Amino acid sequence: MAHEWQPDFEQLVDEHQSMVFSLAARMTGDRGLAEEVAQDVFLELDRHLRRMESPSHVCFWLRRVTMSRSTDALRRRRVRCTDLWIEIEERHGASGEEKESPLGARLEQMLATLPEPQRAALILRYQEDLTPEEIAATLDAPLATVKSQLQRGLKLLRAKAQSQLKQFVRVKR
Amino acid sequence: MEQEPLNEFEQELRQALERRPAPPGLKRKIMAERGRLHTERLRSRTVIWQRLAASLALVAVVGGGVAWREREQERKGEEARRQVMIALRITGHALNTVKTQLAGHHRGDGE
Repeated sequence: MAHEWQPDFEQLVDEHQSMVFSLAARMTGDRGLAEEVAQDVFLELDRHLRRMESPSHVCFWLRRVTMSRSTDALRRRRVRCTDLWIEIEERHGASGEEKESPLGARLEQMLATLPEPQRAALILRYQEDLTPEEIAATLDAPLATVKSQLQRGLKLLRAKAQSQLKQFVRVKR
Repeated sequence: MEQEPLNEFEQELRQALERRPAPPGLKRKIMAERGRLHTERLRSRTVIWQRLAASLALVAVVGGGVAWREREQERKGEEARRQVMIALRITGHALNTVKTQLAGHHRGDGE
C-alpha cells in the first residue's frame, strides 16, 4: 500500500536540485562545495530510493540530509564564518543571472556570518518556509532550541542590518 | 511598534533567501556519477557471483573427491573382507578334510 508511489530519480533531481543546491550553498558559503554536497545528497537518495514513501518524504529527507552533509562539509573544510560572506559575494552572488536587490544580497551575506545552528534554522525558515516544528524535525533538534535559535538569529541579523544597512533603516523609518 | 519593522525585515529576508537555480551542469554530473556507480556496483556484484560460483565449484570438487575416496575405501574394505571370508572357508574346508583323514587313520590303527 505504502509503496504504490514509484519515484523517478531523474524527475526528483529536476524537481529538487534548486532546493538542495540553495540550502547547501547558503550553509557552506561555497558554490563548488555546495555542488559537491548536492551531488552526494542525490547519490545517497538514489541508494535509498526504495525506502521513499511519498514526494513529501523525499522532500523532508533531502532537506535533512542536505543540512547534515553541509555541516559535515563545512567542518571538514573548516571555513571560517568571517570569510563566508566574501566567498558568497565572489562565488555565489556574483552570477549575472541574479536578480535580487542589493539589500537582499547584503542580508544574505550577513546571514552567512551567523553561527551555524542559527543560520540553519533561519535558512529553513525563510528559504523553505518551514514552521519551527518542521525545522526541529528536519534538524533533529528540540523545538525549544529551534525557537530560540530562530529568535536569536533574527535578532542578531536585525542588529547587524541596522548597524550596517543604513538604507534599510532609513526605508523602514 | 517594535513588531512592524521585524515583519518587514522578515519579508525582506524571505525575498533574499529565495531558492537559487542550480548550476546548469549539476544534473548532468549527478546522472553521470550515478551511471558510473551503477556500473561499478554491477561489476562488483558480478565479481561476487563469479567468486561464489568458483567457491561452490571448488567445494563440489573437493567434496566429490572426499566422497569418492570414502566409497573407494569402503569398496576395498568390503573386497578384503570377502577375500578373508573365502580364505577362512578354504582353510575350514582343508581342516575338515585333514580331520576326516585323521579320523580314518585312527579307526584303521584301532582295528
